[in-house]
Amino acid sequence: MSRVPVHLVGAPRSEVVDDRTFAEEREALDALETRLVEARAKVHAGWGTKYVDRVHAKGKLTARERIERLRDPGTPVHEVGTLVNEGRKFGKLESPGAGVVTAFVRVEGRWCIVIGNDNTVASGAWWPRTPEKIQRAQTMALRLKLPVLYLVDCSGLFLPEQSQSFGGPKGAGHIFKMNSLLSASGVPQIAGVFGDCIAGGGYMPIISDRVYMTEQAYMVIAGAALIKGAKSQKITSLGIGGPEVHVHASGCADVRVPDDETLLECLRDEMRRLPSSAAPYYRGDTGSMPPAFGAHELAGLLPTDHRESYDANQVLARLCDQSLFWEVLPETGREMICGVGRVGGLWAGFVINRQGLLEDPERPGELRPGGTLYRAGIAKMAAFSRACDQDGIPLIWLQDISGFDIGQQAEAQGLLAYGSSLIYTNSTNTTPMFTVLLRKCSGAGYYAMAGMPYDPIVQLSTSLSRLSVMEGRTLAIATFNTKLDDEFEILSRDPEERAAIEAGMKETEARIERDMDPFVSARHMDTDEIIRVAELRERLEVLVECSYQTIAHRRIKNPRIWSLHDLDVLARGIPEAVR
Amino acid sequence: MARLFHRLFIANRGEVAARVGRTCERLGITPVFGVSEADRAAPYAQTHETVVLGPSRSSESYLDLERVVQAAVQSGCTALHPGWGFLSENPRFASLCETHGVTFLGPPAHAMQLMGTKTPAKRAMAAAGLTLIDGSEGILATADEARRVADRVGYPVLLKAERGGGGRGMRIARSADEIERAFDEARAEALACFADSDLYLEKLVERGRHVEIQLLADKYGNVVHLGERDCTVQRNHQKLIEESPAPTLDPQERARALAAAKKATAAIGYVGAGTMEFLLDGDGTLRFMEMNTRLQVEHCVSEMRSRWPGASTPIDLVEEQILAGAGHRLKHEEVEFEGHAIECRINAEDPSAGFQPAPGVLTAFEVPKGEGIRVDTHVEAGYEVPPFYDSLICKVIAHAPTRDEACDRMIGALEKLRCEGVPTTVPMHLAILRSEAFRSGAYDTGAIPGWPAEGGAS
Repeated sequence: MSRVPVHLVGAPRSEVVDDRTFAEEREALDALETRLVEARAKVHAGWGTKYVDRVHAKGKLTARERIERLRDPGTPVHEVGTLVNEGRKFGKLESPGAGVVTAFVRVEGRWCIVIGNDNTVASGAWWPRTPEKIQRAQTMALRLKLPVLYLVDCSGLFLPEQSQSFGGPKGAGHIFKMNSLLSASGVPQIAGVFGDCIAGGGYMPIISDRVYMTEQAYMVIAGAALIKGAKSQKITSLGIGGPEVHVHASGCADVRVPDDETLLECLRDEMRRLPSSAAPYYRGDTGSMPPAFGAHELAGLLPTDHRESYDANQVLARLCDQSLFWEVLPETGREMICGVGRVGGLWAGFVINRQGLLEDPERPGELRPGGTLYRAGIAKMAAFSRACDQDGIPLIWLQDISGFDIGQQAEAQGLLAYGSSLIYTNSTNTTPMFTVLLRKCSGAGYYAMAGMPYDPIVQLSTSLSRLSVMEGRTLAIATFNTKLDDEFEILSRDPEERAAIEAGMKETEARIERDMDPFVSARHMDTDEIIRVAELRERLEVLVECSYQTIAHRRIKNPRIWSLHDLDVLARGIPEAVR
Repeated sequence: MARLFHRLFIANRGEVAARVGRTCERLGITPVFGVSEADRAAPYAQTHETVVLGPSRSSESYLDLERVVQAAVQSGCTALHPGWGFLSENPRFASLCETHGVTFLGPPAHAMQLMGTKTPAKRAMAAAGLTLIDGSEGILATADEARRVADRVGYPVLLKAERGGGGRGMRIARSADEIERAFDEARAEALACFADSDLYLEKLVERGRHVEIQLLADKYGNVVHLGERDCTVQRNHQKLIEESPAPTLDPQERARALAAAKKATAAIGYVGAGTMEFLLDGDGTLRFMEMNTRLQVEHCVSEMRSRWPGASTPIDLVEEQILAGAGHRLKHEEVEFEGHAIECRINAEDPSAGFQPAPGVLTAFEVPKGEGIRVDTHVEAGYEVPPFYDSLICKVIAHAPTRDEACDRMIGALEKLRCEGVPTTVPMHLAILRSEAFRSGAYDTGAIPGWPAEGGAS
């Protein structure tokens, strides 16, 4: 059947957990998320009011004020990389957000990627990891074919730390290579130059299709400070590279405008000239509808203790439009749920780990833990992932995974090979993939379910994410293996030695626990953004809509010709006449 | 065979099921009735195809989304009429029907979903040009913000839960110093009942009239109105008598609201029949309250007095719903009106005993006939009113050139209606229709005109 046979999924919150548990879990999560809220606020404040005032005194707007004026009223701004460099010191200085704002922003009905130098942090200088953060946003734009708006206001590389962001494959210059690749792929790039634009900052706008300059803006290979005799001759950077030069003499820019406000208005006009979004076309007669059960209830339904289980269907019910979902191959590999639902009126594929104890199909009557990868589940994921890629359905990986099954049987079954098939599939997929680290994301499970090394377009973490090769306890056992018995109890009877081993194991566990902090991965760009659990649905709405915005660059099949239906029929044997 | 849906599933019971069935048969469509075990004995179930949906309790039959869709698919129906109540305003059900290949005879799920919300629906309607009840623009962040809004719109005000319903999560504040408490209480109740503490504020209009506009739209953005209805005679928000046109509405305000309602209907991509409910305030302004995205019980009032230009029979709204669902265009740009229509809902309730529902067996049932009289019913002598559902027995509609003549015609009809074995609301209707208050139009939703009758109920 070529209909998408969605069915009701989920239940009202009161039928899932009692009021008290729900309130306690919500409170526990709130406590964790307070740190996130505060960290975000700190980044948004830049270097503080003194620097904001300084920007205003020049008659300019801050980066975030610019974005606020660009976006369509009432639409969200979804930043990525907010916590890059969080807590990192360069001498006495910090670089909130690595001095650049990168965000999904809707302008004139079209989603775009905005890359704006934070002019309240060292005049928008590039810090270590700033180039990587910019390139990451450019990559998102390239893969989704979203227009890029550059809000350039950049004093150049932060020179004391130049060695960290200059020479490598992701050095600052790679930004211009990304500019070029975007251009080569026909992705619109529009630049607004609002102020200093020195050296690298000068190169970034030039490849854009259109370049606007305010009367305060200049673009120079080197500023006046490096020009001999500049002082006595009263040569200024504005004089050698301002709009008078670049709009009229060099042609490096297209349009001069008096101020920030006018430039932003021009960027909106440019966006209006682009083709409108194809999302309404792909929605057909369907509109975007919220889940039947409040998406905000995810906060409180996901236990904060990663050892506690929950019903994964309740998560899907709070992400899919109207809580309607088609589970594909439901009888096979029950530790995984794979299926399709709409998000904002557009089809998306979901893969999520089922939690708790599940029937072991290989040993009837026995149970085994979910949140683990077994043969059938891996095979199902690979087939589902391939089908979504074939059919052009964006794929959302919801990870809460402790890893692969281990032991003699697992090896004999060839889990390495089944896992590799999945990895091959995910590595070669061209359909947009988005990965969410709900809670655990351990070891090869993180890889198998399209973790960051497999290039999801965006990877989101929560305050509950635990990214690691293995849990601290496991590593402690591995490290002290020779000192432990079969039950992982300490062998030695010598109190002193026992104490030393115990202390060593504790220290190992504590260290891993510290490193699993989602802030660490956000700081290092091992994940794109930490979000509040209750924000997940809204985030996915935007990402899925972005996946459908631009036509003719990837396969998007209508449900009639989805290979998913073939998979369904094959799994069922002879299809029923009427379902 | 009509070039329409061949078989249509009726996912409802009682009067509306029979009503939809009649139109289907007139159009050459085979109706299939989904019935609960309690309704297998209903007269319409005896003479038509039925599918038993489940036990008498509606949660296991008429309200079970998956069962109803499965029944429609398996009985080979290509369209489904949800009637009113039950699943008729459930957008999840509408989507489920559509994804399983059954045309849901109602608006697109997303339009229904939008109008099922509170502040987003109001915002959409305000944007489309309708006048709202004064209040907050959206969700209130703090009690202080609530106080500022209340100071602007004037007391008393109502604080309401965004996800509320059934009167829960709602508090009145009659002055500024009551705001904080009302805000906190409403918020706590909302959080406890709906797991969401969002509140908005509206000016409380204590005495007003309930006026609604009947709309009809096709899939191509064309909309007509079928005039307005006045449903001010209510008991606990339960409408008792409905009439059209509204007796006390200023013609200019009527024209303004009808035009705005049409525009708003088109703006949200509405399809099929729908009703916008308004509060007619003391200043004579119609203020939008909510939209019912379905056929309403009182739709017959509008049918009786409207015609397509050149047509010899009144408009049948169920037919129009079916046509709209099959992608037909509206027949004309405007509808023509004639005379005054009034409807009385006859329930198996005892009005002199606090309107207690009184299920039981109808020992005799005979309906009045005559010029300008229509009776919609699903019952006959010997029918047993089941205790599981509402107790509507029939609706009597009278049509005449003027309001007074229509009222007199209705009195004559109700006197002739023979309904024995259970108490009915007929005595109350007669008392209202004969009262000076009702005849002069001097009443509002605060009290039922002419009832209880002078000297006590009889």
